[in-house]
Formats: sequence, structure tokens, C-alpha cells
Amino acid sequence: MTAAPGAAVVTTTEIKHESTLFAEPIGQLGGFPVTNALITSVATVIVIVAFTTILRRRLREIPSGIQNAFETILEEALSLCDQVTGSRAITAKVFPLAFSVFIFILINNWIGLLPLGGFGLLEKTSAGLSFVPFLRSGSADLNTTLALAVMAVIGANVFGIFSVGTWKLFNKYINLKALGGILKKIRHEPSVLVIAPVEFFVGILELIGEFAKIASLSFRLFGNVFAGEVLLAAMSAIFAYALPVPFMFLEIFVGAIQALIFAVLLLVYFTIAAQDHEGESRETAHAH
Amino acid sequence: MGSIISTFHIDWRIIVAQLINFCIVLAVLYFFALKPLQKLMSERSEKIARGVSDAKQNAELLAATRAEYEAALQKARAEAETIFQEGKRQAEAKRMEMVEAAKKEVNVMLANGKKALETEKTRMVDDARKDVAALIVEASRKVLGGVADSTMDGKVAKEIEKLK
Repeated sequence: MTAAPGAAVVTTTEIKHESTLFAEPIGQLGGFPVTNALITSVATVIVIVAFTTILRRRLREIPSGIQNAFETILEEALSLCDQVTGSRAITAKVFPLAFSVFIFILINNWIGLLPLGGFGLLEKTSAGLSFVPFLRSGSADLNTTLALAVMAVIGANVFGIFSVGTWKLFNKYINLKALGGILKKIRHEPSVLVIAPVEFFVGILELIGEFAKIASLSFRLFGNVFAGEVLLAAMSAIFAYALPVPFMFLEIFVGAIQALIFAVLLLVYFTIAAQDHEGESRETAHAH
Repeated sequence: MGSIISTFHIDWRIIVAQLINFCIVLAVLYFFALKPLQKLMSERSEKIARGVSDAKQNAELLAATRAEYEAALQKARAEAETIFQEGKRQAEAKRMEMVEAAKKEVNVMLANGKKALETEKTRMVDDARKDVAALIVEASRKVLGGVADSTMDGKVAKEIEKLK
């Protein structure tokens, strides 16, 4: 196992713990690699399913206990979503997805911080014994963040198809309307010869932007959470048990913030996809 | 791209597995928490709104009923006052009528009494005269018994008759 550049290396006399850029495999399941990040994600699913089942059983008309707390969180989250989308109709459609993303990332991040990460496997390598923890935050594996980012961007475009229509969404990226409009408008507006290719090129940029969204969403979350893990490992190497504690609290906060950022960005992408830009630009043109 | 995949150990099987994990979370949260909870919350909001509306209606109804009650009370008071005044007036009239009747009766009784008294008085005077005349005759007879003759008796009797 090789340490990635910039990764913290904690060395004892016999055992090494390398913070790798990738999730370490714990075992194989019929040829399928089971990584510690995947174990954390499965644990996240189990925690969420357990919590939801308990909540479902305790749902009462007059709320109390966890239902009360969950309702308060839900109302605040809905209010925040309304502020982002600016429309209760869009919020109603996107909220379950954004809230699920938030909870999934949050619990994943927090489970990755549990001291249970101190339990793991000892692997023999050429450099000696290497420690592989059982738990690693799911968000500290690019596979997880990539999966969520791809889902978010594809989901936003599918939502856009249902909201504004396939043709309009297609023209957002491959602006055939702008090119087709050259022949129609050239007599009255010769400037269309310049504007239409620019609009077409902007569409292509939008298409590239969708891939950039995937990269930015996945690498932002991965980078922040992985950096937190490296930080904790480095602090443990300097002064084990005591020094990482304040940083642990910082990582709890960072985990929540990153989950919130991902969920809010997802909401923003869905909201943008649901807006008819062509109609808006036409309205702006009429206003001018 | 190849270096990114190898550096970060990107594996489509793990990506799919993580997507499945997320889909499970989404489905469980949506069907077992968000949907029933939102339904419950919206039902509660509706109930609260209905309760507030009902309370408002009840307050309006109460105010209207109170106003109606006050009006009915005022009317009843006015009617009672009228009935009382009428009763008082009728009682006064009846009293006056009865007093008048009593006065008349008393006058009649007084008149009858006076009349009876007068008759009795006359009768007593007559009786007294008769008695006095009889006494005088008797006395005269006793005094003049031997002296007077029958002629004298006749004269005395006539005089006494005159006295009567």
C-alpha cells in the first residue's frame, strides 16, 4: 500500500497508518471490493433506517420527543429550501432528495469520526505492518462523492426536462434555435450573425459546466472531509488522544457544513434547471 | 483521467453500490419519515386553521347571541314596565271605583240609619206622650176620684186627648 503525496503518515515502532487518498479495501465479497468507506456508508444506511423506523412507530398527532425534534428540523429545512428555490412548488419536489443527501453525507461524515475508526486490520506490507481502519467517512472516498455528484447533476437535468421540456433543455446546451434564428433574423438584425454563434458557444460552455459541476461537487466534499481525516491523523501523531479532541469538534462542524453545502448546491442546480431561461431572456428583452 | 482513476481508486462497482446506499436512504426517509410526517403536519395545520376559524365563528356567534339576548332582555324589561304601569293604573282605577262604591254604600247606610232613627224617635215621643197622658188621667182620677162627676171626667178626658 503506498501513501499518497501529502498524506499524513503515523508511524509507530511496528505499525504504520497511512492516510491514503482512496478508501482501503477491507475484504472481498464475491470479487466485489469491500472498502472501509463502503462499510461506513452501509453503517450510515443502517443508522438512518433504524432511526426512521423508530420515528415512524412513534409518529403521533401531538408530537413529542424525537418526533418533535425531527419536525422542528424539517420545518427549518423546508424554510431554508424555500429561501434557495424561491418557490414552494420546487421545494416540495426537490426537498426529499436534498434532505436525504444532507442526512446521508452528515451521518457518513460523523460515523467516520467515531473512535471506532481505531479498530481495524493489520496488513503486512513490504514496509512492515500497516493499520487499515474499519471505518472511513464515506465522503472521504471519491467514489461516494462522485456517485452523489453524478446523481445530483443528472437528476437536475431530468428535473429540467420535466419542468421546461426536452427541447428547451437540449437547446440550453446545443443551441440549435440560435443557429436556426440566423436565417430568420438576418434581414432585420444583422448583429445576429455575431450573437447567434456566441449563444451557441455559451450553450457548449453550459454543457462543459455540467461536467465541471460534477467535478466541483465531488472534489469539494471529498477534499474537505479527507483533509479533516488527515488533520486528525496528524494531530494524533503529534499528541495522541488529547490534541485531536478540539479538532474532532471542528470536524463535526465541518462535516455538517459540507453536507449543507452539497445539499444547497443540489437545490440550486435543480432550481436553475427548472427555470425557463429563454422565456426570462425574452421578458428581459421586452422590458428593454 | 487514467491517473485520476488509479490515484483515487475509482471503481464503478463502488459508485453503483454507494448510489444504491443513497437510494435506500432516500426511499426510507421519503416513505417512512418525510411523507407521513409532512402529511401529519399538514393535517395538523389544517386542524389548527379549522379550529381558529371555528373559534372565530363561535366568538361571532357568541357576540350575536349576547346582543340578541340583551335586546330580548331590554324588550322584556320594557314590556314588564308597561304591564306594571298598566296594572298599577288599573289597580288605581279599581281602588277608586271601590272607594266610590263604599262611600255610596256608607251614605245609603247613613241615610237609612237616620231615617230609622227618626222613625224610632217619633214613635218613642208618641209612646211617651201616650204614657204621660195615661199617667195624668190616672193621677187625675185618683186625685179627683170622689169629686168629679162623669161630665168632668169627660172634659178631662178630652183635654188629655188634646195633649196627646
